[in-house]
Amino acid sequence: MKISRKLYSYYLILPALLIYCVFFVVPALTGLYYSFTDWRLDRVGIKFIGWANFERIFTDKTLLLAIKNTLIFAVATVIGKNLIGLALAIALNMRLKTRNILRAVFYSPSILSVLVISIVFTPMLRSEGTINRIFESVGLGFLSQSWLTDPQIVIWTVAAVSVWQHAGFQMAIYLAGLQSIPKDYYEAATIDGAGAWRSFRSITLPLLLPALNINLMLTLIGGLKVFSEVFVLTGGGPGNASQVVGTIILRSFGEGSWGLGTAVNTLLFAAVTIIAIPLLIFMRRKEVSE
Amino acid sequence: MNYTRKMAWRNVLVEGFLILASLIVILPMLVMIFGSFMNNIEVMKFTLRLPSEWHFSNYVTVFQEGGLARAFWNGLLITGVSCAANIVTSSAAAFILTRRDTKLSNFLYMFFFMGLIAPMSVITTIRVVQAFGFYGSITSVIFIYASLNTAFSVFLYSGFIRSIPKALDEVAFLEGAGTLSVFFKIITPLILPVNATVAIMVFMSVWNDITIPLYFLTDSSDWTMPLSVYNFYGKFSRDWNLIFADLVLTSLPVLILYLFCQKYIVSGLTAGAVKG
Repeated sequence: MKISRKLYSYYLILPALLIYCVFFVVPALTGLYYSFTDWRLDRVGIKFIGWANFERIFTDKTLLLAIKNTLIFAVATVIGKNLIGLALAIALNMRLKTRNILRAVFYSPSILSVLVISIVFTPMLRSEGTINRIFESVGLGFLSQSWLTDPQIVIWTVAAVSVWQHAGFQMAIYLAGLQSIPKDYYEAATIDGAGAWRSFRSITLPLLLPALNINLMLTLIGGLKVFSEVFVLTGGGPGNASQVVGTIILRSFGEGSWGLGTAVNTLLFAAVTIIAIPLLIFMRRKEVSE
Repeated sequence: MNYTRKMAWRNVLVEGFLILASLIVILPMLVMIFGSFMNNIEVMKFTLRLPSEWHFSNYVTVFQEGGLARAFWNGLLITGVSCAANIVTSSAAAFILTRRDTKLSNFLYMFFFMGLIAPMSVITTIRVVQAFGFYGSITSVIFIYASLNTAFSVFLYSGFIRSIPKALDEVAFLEGAGTLSVFFKIITPLILPVNATVAIMVFMSVWNDITIPLYFLTDSSDWTMPLSVYNFYGKFSRDWNLIFADLVLTSLPVLILYLFCQKYIVSGLTAGAVKG
């Protein structure tokens, strides 16, 4: 006997839908409109100015640098967090005596606030800081850098701190994925004469795709939305060398150029959607076919 | 060398390497913890060493000068209420969305799912909140967190509710129960573990966040712990022992939650990893 769908009343969706729409969807949609206006703190009227804000974004050196830095940060952290996370997960899926405690240790930084980690790293990354002193004491003095004050490397330093903090989170998701693979698959493969690499490529990798999928999405989207790491570690400096889209939005907000700020946000919105949605569809398809 | 012994050697090697690597994670944390007990001269070396004298008084100073007690309660209020609102609204929505399976409900599911991807538009959110007349207040922050976490929670609940057989609802409906009582009497007891997972994941992300308080909490008496710490860090940039003590105190609530609720965190991660 089939019961009517009507019994599942749509009223129960309304509270969630209302909160989600009012505080997330409406700002996102009005943001699209405001990014084509000259909305400013110190002006009464709001005028439609076409693509002027976007033209400014693509001709302003600082704004272009912020976009470049955001992309560097996103790509570097996607690669770093996933490679290290996957390596840790595979190693900690082996029968090691200390694996439970090691898992907890590698995971633990990711539960702390980005603020905490960034402040702890600030004094260690100074020119005469702990990290350079360690390099010098083991004879690797040539590796020491002005981590947070050299405009050429500062964004890479911020990315490295983020990888340090969050690779353990990716590890936990890969571990969960690894543990869902039945052990007898590997036994069967060994009996059939498959080596370790062959087993990894033919069993682990395809069955790990859902975990890989979610991890790539999480790190990529999180990377493009980066704000707190940069805000606390460098504040966008030295000069504007480590500005990212997130810190530019805060700066525009502070300066009262709200139209420009929302335009920058619209650009981020477009970038995330253009990159994330095809990737999502592509990986879903691959998952089904394997 | 036979196969088993080769495997054993490999494991010892991997384990040794991992223990060395774990030092990279542990040492910076120890610098912070030991530093929080030092005096303000010793701490400036930023090296790994036990404090020559243990200054527990740093923690008292931080509490008095950093306004941490106030910030702790603000954080608890914000995370608690936004978590509760999020759990009730998202689980109810996920219940209907997964049971209906019509074009409209599938569209709504994707509509919520977009929230996992799209970045929030902060400046226009401020305008919306101003229109309601509560910009700068704790209320605004609670609504914003409840809204920001809807996508994640609906996604997590949907995966779980799909695995609950529909036959359970049908029996209740036949006996004349309404949608609400089926949801509260049949579904809610079954999804209690998911509630715990959602509560912990949302709690951790809200507690640790500085972005939303930075934009939306204009009055320092409303600040949460991370924002107070950030402000303290700016003001007391010479007293690193106090800064470290402040950081340890901010981290304690999430660390305690992690130690006692690991099981629920793992099940949340598993849902993501297995269902993608």
